[in-house]
Amino acid sequence: MTDKWISRLILGLTLTFLIGPFLIIIVAGLSAGETLVFPPNGLSLRWYLKVFTVESFRESFALSMFLAIGGTLVALLLGIPAAYALSRYKIPYGEAIKTIVAAPIIVPGIIVGLALLRYMVMPLNVGITMALFLAHTALVLPYAVRVVTASMMNLRSDIEEAAILLGCTRLQGFTKVVLPNIRSGVLAAFILGFVTSFNQVPVSLFLSGPGVRTLPIDMLAYMEITYDPSVAALSALLAFLSVGIVALAEKFLGFSRYV
Amino acid sequence: MFHNRNEGLALALPAAIFTGLLFLLPVGILLSEAFQVDDGWSLMGYVDFAKKPLNQKVFLRTLKLGALVAMTAAIIGYAAAFCITNLDSKARGRVFGLVVLPLMISPVARTYAWIVILGRTGIVNDAIMGLGLSDTPIRILFTETAVFLGLLQLFLPLMIISLVSAMENLPKDAIPAARVLGANWFQVFTKVILPLTKEGLVMGGTLVFTGSLTAYITPAILGGSKVLMLETLLYQRVNVANDFVSAGIIATILIGMSFSANLLLKRIATARK
Repeated sequence: MTDKWISRLILGLTLTFLIGPFLIIIVAGLSAGETLVFPPNGLSLRWYLKVFTVESFRESFALSMFLAIGGTLVALLLGIPAAYALSRYKIPYGEAIKTIVAAPIIVPGIIVGLALLRYMVMPLNVGITMALFLAHTALVLPYAVRVVTASMMNLRSDIEEAAILLGCTRLQGFTKVVLPNIRSGVLAAFILGFVTSFNQVPVSLFLSGPGVRTLPIDMLAYMEITYDPSVAALSALLAFLSVGIVALAEKFLGFSRYV
Repeated sequence: MFHNRNEGLALALPAAIFTGLLFLLPVGILLSEAFQVDDGWSLMGYVDFAKKPLNQKVFLRTLKLGALVAMTAAIIGYAAAFCITNLDSKARGRVFGLVVLPLMISPVARTYAWIVILGRTGIVNDAIMGLGLSDTPIRILFTETAVFLGLLQLFLPLMIISLVSAMENLPKDAIPAARVLGANWFQVFTKVILPLTKEGLVMGGTLVFTGSLTAYITPAILGGSKVLMLETLLYQRVNVANDFVSAGIIATILIGMSFSANLLLKRIATARK
């Protein structure tokens, strides 16, 4: 009996440490006062509402959404064929290709941002948005390949071979047999990529210019000037957004199988 | 399995070329720049870098904090993982979900909460002054303690996840058997649990350690310029001094460390097969 209580105490403390700070952020954002304190001075929704009226938040939110959705789509466009080839063919240098594609996970993001700024944006006159887009795509690509490969592994290749024997072209075999079967894997890859890209900070640190900032970078900049609860409110809203997306994905796809 | 190799290559190469050309090439050039001094190849950049006391201090602090966070995460992680694996399956799923949840949330949001907790008018200082332990607020923000707490909260889930999956593979009877045969809990841990979950510990430890080394937001928000770590030093060198040689050197150190950690992980993973 005492064992059970000790176990509950340990888990309770651990979860308080992990989750507690968010609850504090959510409540601190509800403050009616001008500064960020906990417990808040009175309750109101003013900061949650103010977030939507701040021009720079709106712009950077749009940019982050564009990078997360567009970058992940391009990563899937590159990643699905690669995952297919890596699991269905014996390719020369297959291991090397895998290593190259997986590399962005190991390289710290801040270095990537700096390298792209120095050797792409400055000398080649590539726009910052473009550089951000390329960096986010490359960053998401390893996850896309890994998740899609995992769901390819569960798909027997003889079904596809049977379809081809029965008269499908190779392309039809892929679109009619393979794609429908790996659909939930692709969706899981999209969600994982979206969340990864949207929450990404270090890559975007050096890749920001006048009017071009991702949302997390904009929040960092805002925090440096003002100490009002709006960043707390925005953080809480973003937390709800990603948790909501992941919870939906878990419910309908069994998302955690892929992560 | 299809055998047309060219077809396979045609499908896989675009992804590799994309990452190689647009991602690895620029990073490679940046790293090579640290070896170039006055238009020649040399290690002088590294020697100069290593001589500066600030750089030494930041390097050692980064290692120290990384190791401390990894060790603390291991201790809490073992306790939590042990409790989680002993729950019934429904409760286990729920608790595990709550452990994973923070990983989905923006690190900016996760770190920002600590300002409210540790700041001059934060919860901790309110409590200290309320209890009469101090008359003036003590500084916790912008100390190593603050960075340590932030990093621990950020990366603890990774350790717990690794240890839970290691413990699930533990034979069910191993612990009761050791207990029946007269081992106390300390012996059960060192002689049974630790050897059998070593791989999970190494994996979790590597993830937490490299994560802490390469974290930017936490040291930036909670440490500021008072508690520089390698990532924040890199940012400062570039933004304040336009010093790309130092930046390249720090980049090489960071990549070297996370690369060797990953190599270690891979070796362990293949040794198991």
